[in-house]
Parts: sequence; structure tokens; C-alpha cells
Amino acid sequence: MRAAFSDALVRIAQADPNVLLLTGDHGYALFDEFRRACPRQYINAGIAEQNMVGMAAGLARSGFRPFVYGLSAFIPVRVVEQIKLDIAHDALPVVLIGDGAGFVYSHLGTSHQSTEDIACARAIPNLSIYSPGDRFELVACMELAYQSASPCYFRMGKSDRGDVHTQIPKIEMGRLLNVKPGQSGDILFVATGSMLRTTLDVATQHYPNATVWSAPVIKPIDAEHLVALCGRSRAVVVVEEHSVMGGVGSLIAETITEFTPTRLLRIGVNDRFSHYCGTYDYLLHEHGLDKETIIEKINTFLSTVSS
Amino acid sequence: MAYAGSTVHIGCAFSIIEIVAVLYRRHLRYPENNPHASDRDYFVLSKGHGVMAQYACMHELGWLSDETLANYFSDGSELKGLSDSRIPGLEVTSGSLGHGFSVGVGLAMGAKLKGTDQKTYALVGDGEINEGPIWEGALFASHHNLENFMVIVDENNFQAMGETKDILRLGSIQHKFESFGFESLTIDGHDESAINGAIERLRSSKSGAPKALIAKTVKGKGVPFMENNNLWHYTRLNAETYALAMAAIQENEL
Repeated sequence: MRAAFSDALVRIAQADPNVLLLTGDHGYALFDEFRRACPRQYINAGIAEQNMVGMAAGLARSGFRPFVYGLSAFIPVRVVEQIKLDIAHDALPVVLIGDGAGFVYSHLGTSHQSTEDIACARAIPNLSIYSPGDRFELVACMELAYQSASPCYFRMGKSDRGDVHTQIPKIEMGRLLNVKPGQSGDILFVATGSMLRTTLDVATQHYPNATVWSAPVIKPIDAEHLVALCGRSRAVVVVEEHSVMGGVGSLIAETITEFTPTRLLRIGVNDRFSHYCGTYDYLLHEHGLDKETIIEKINTFLSTVSS
Repeated sequence: MAYAGSTVHIGCAFSIIEIVAVLYRRHLRYPENNPHASDRDYFVLSKGHGVMAQYACMHELGWLSDETLANYFSDGSELKGLSDSRIPGLEVTSGSLGHGFSVGVGLAMGAKLKGTDQKTYALVGDGEINEGPIWEGALFASHHNLENFMVIVDENNFQAMGETKDILRLGSIQHKFESFGFESLTIDGHDESAINGAIERLRSSKSGAPKALIAKTVKGKGVPFMENNNLWHYTRLNAETYALAMAAIQENEL
């Protein structure tokens, strides 16, 4: 996924000399190719995210197309106010990339883990949010982010869970993307980012009649499409490596509840920080995001849903 | 304007009026008097609460109508109590402090990358430089030799809750910016010829360093009962104080 990201960024920057990459002193090996191919478009702004985002606004105002890179614990969370006032207020074309979302930095603890970022970004007007689930969605989202020429937050999580697609999908702005067909009236799964592969595996193995949708675009959202999908399903299960508060589950629940009585289960981080450190899989287990716990939660939930 | 509003920051506008006037009159280039011109100089009011001083100049330039000004703070007014970038001529939405400086550094970096001779001036308050991003931006401007960037510090020695020396001691602001690699001068911020001379002197230097002009000012300057009285950070005028203030200003002008 990181190689796909680097390739896509280099391709966009080579085609448009106004594209600038700003990094807050992160992404050492990740940007080797970018620095080789586009050295004049690379700015290491230092360990100074607030200034970096403010500067990106100034650069955008003077005609450039900044891509601002940091860890998602910092971009957007540390700089929410700079994003709101300096960038989103005037819909400036800045792409804010938050890498390592979720529990990628499983050994480092709370400072580098990021499960509040979607919630922080969602409430900001004019700001789109992308959350690709594999390499192919990433390339499609990068192209959308660049073409839209408007502010966006680009969330990148754990990269090695395996591809879901076999080619670059056509993503329609605001619409969920089908990754597994199923029967109408059965369960509808929605997953985003790193949880897409896991969710697809769980559904394929245990709920073969369910449909699975990816949410590569979290904002804007086509409410009508979403309501139609959920309205004809027996129940909705949303899985994400993010807090259940303010994330995709929360988004779908608050959107559909005005129109349909379909029950919805949010599976995500339950309003808590990690207590321990360990491997990525260990952390997922601690937060109940491993396959076994996910299946357990779904079955408990389904036992309360009338068929 | 300060008669109309509820939180008007009148003292904060009076301390910078000469600086803003000199910039518009002598330094800022707006081709064809167009605030949208793509090759304009940039004036970033980072201390957005001083915006009434800028409105007054923009009115003189013909960018704001009498009517717009007269409607200040009435329902539906476009002019807000703090700088809003949707108004032509205002480059940033500020008021949350410590933002405009960085946007200004980005504008200066943009001009440098494009190879234009556009200049960027960022006006900050002395209280405002409590904010950390100012110093992040100062490191960047210096490291990247942004000679086209000038910060002007309105050193009126007051911030919202009292005197700067009692809240967070600033020491010599000039020395601070010099230690960050800026070329810096300190002047009387109400002496228009001193302001103009200092800007010209800093501009003429080709050392590659960004510039810092420290303007020693008096909060509420021009109206004796407001001067150095922090009550006038926020207070609005009533009929009586408005008449007194206007009389004092007219007397000064004679």
C-alpha cells in the first residue's frame, strides 16, 4: 500500500509541477522515490505541524497544490483548528494525509495511535474524507482527491491485510462500493480502511448471503443511496478501526435513522485507550477487532434482531 | 464602527492604525487597485482583532462602501469583529491567534517558488506571540531565507487580561527574532515616517534573512481615556464616550 501511495503521488506530482509535498519530518523511506523524481516539489517542514498546515494554506492561496503528510495522530488531530480556519473555511485545495491510522503503531502507545481522527475531521465543513481499503482503492482515492481540487483528509491505515480488489475500482463520490454481492434482505456489512479485508473474510466464511460494502469515501456521503441499501437489509454491521463515536458506524446510524428502522451494530473502538502494547494483532484483540470477537459481537447482535 | 459593535477591540485597532496606513499608502502593491490581483503583495492581519483599522483603510481605497461600513455588526453584516478572508482585501480568517503568521510564511514561500517579487507582511500582536506556531514559522522562514517576508509586531504591552510583562514576560522581542535569524528593527509604531523608513531600510537589505519590525505602540492611541487602559480591549462606545473620543481625535488632527 505504501508503494502504491508513493507511486500515485509521484505520478500526480510529475504531471503537475504545482503539486508540493510537505512532510512534518515523517516518511523517511516512503518518500525516497518522490525526492528522487521531484526534488523541487518536496518540503520537509520540520517537526512543526501547526505551522506546516498554515503554510500549506498560504501555498494553496498562491496557486500551489499542497499534499501535507503526517501521522494521523497529528494530521488531522493535532491541527484540527488550522484545517478548519486556514484551509476548509475557504475550501483551499489541500490534501491532508494521515498515515498510520488506527493501531498501526501498536508498540508505541497512545501518542501514535489514532482512533479519533475521523470524528475530528467529519464536523469540519468543506472537508472530504477518504479511507481506502486496499492498494486499488488508494489509487482511485488519490486521483479523486487531486481532481476534486478541494480540501480533504486522506486516512491511511494498516497496509498489509491483503487486497480486496483486483483492479482500480470506479469510485463514485459519496457512494459505498460493493465488494461482495449477497441476497437482498440479508445482512449488510460496511467496512472502511484496514477493516475491509477482515470484514470480507468474516462475511464470506460465516454469513455467505450477506453483502459487503467498502466506504472509501466517508464524506460527502450520498444519503439516499445509503438509506436505500440499508432499508432493504435485515440488519447493518459497520466495522472500523476507529472509535464507535463519530466514525463510519456513527455516520451511517445517524444518516439512516431518520428514514429507516433497520437495526445497526457499530464495531470499533469502544471509547477507550490501549492499556497494553504488543503486535498489531494483539492490539486488535485488546479492542475486540479480531475476527473471533467480531463474529461473537455479530452473533450476539443478530440474536436480538428479528428475521 | 466601535459604536455599533458589542465586542469591538477598539484599543487593538488604534494601536496599529499608523502601521496599516503606511503599509497601504507606501508599500503594498495592488495592481489597478485590485484586492484580487494575482500578483499583489500580501498583507496578513494575524492579530485579526485589529481589523477595524484595516476596514478603515479599505474604505479609503474604495474597497468597502459607506453602506457596508455603516451596517457594521447589524444583522447580516459581512464585516465581522475579526478578520474574515471572504472579504476582498482580507487575506486570512484570523482571530484565533498564531494562524496568520504561518499562512503568511506559506504565501512568501509560494512567491519565492514562483520567482515573483511579491512581498508578504504579517502583522501580529505582542500577546499573540505567546502562540507556539509563530516560532515554528519563524524557524521555517529563516531556514528557507524568506527575504520577502516581514513580520510586524504591534508591541503595545497589553493582552486581553492585562500587561504582557505580568502574563508571559516577552523580554526583547527584537532579540528573539534576531536569534531566530531575522533582521530586525524597533521603532515608534505611531511615527509614520519612522515606520516607513524602517520598512524601507529592512527591504533594501539583501542578506536573505526574513525581516521583523518591532513597533512600540500605545493601546488605544489617540484617545486619552483609552490609552493604556485595558478596559478598551473590548469595550464598546456609547453616545457620551463616542463624542469624547471624536473630540479628542479631532483635537489631535488640528
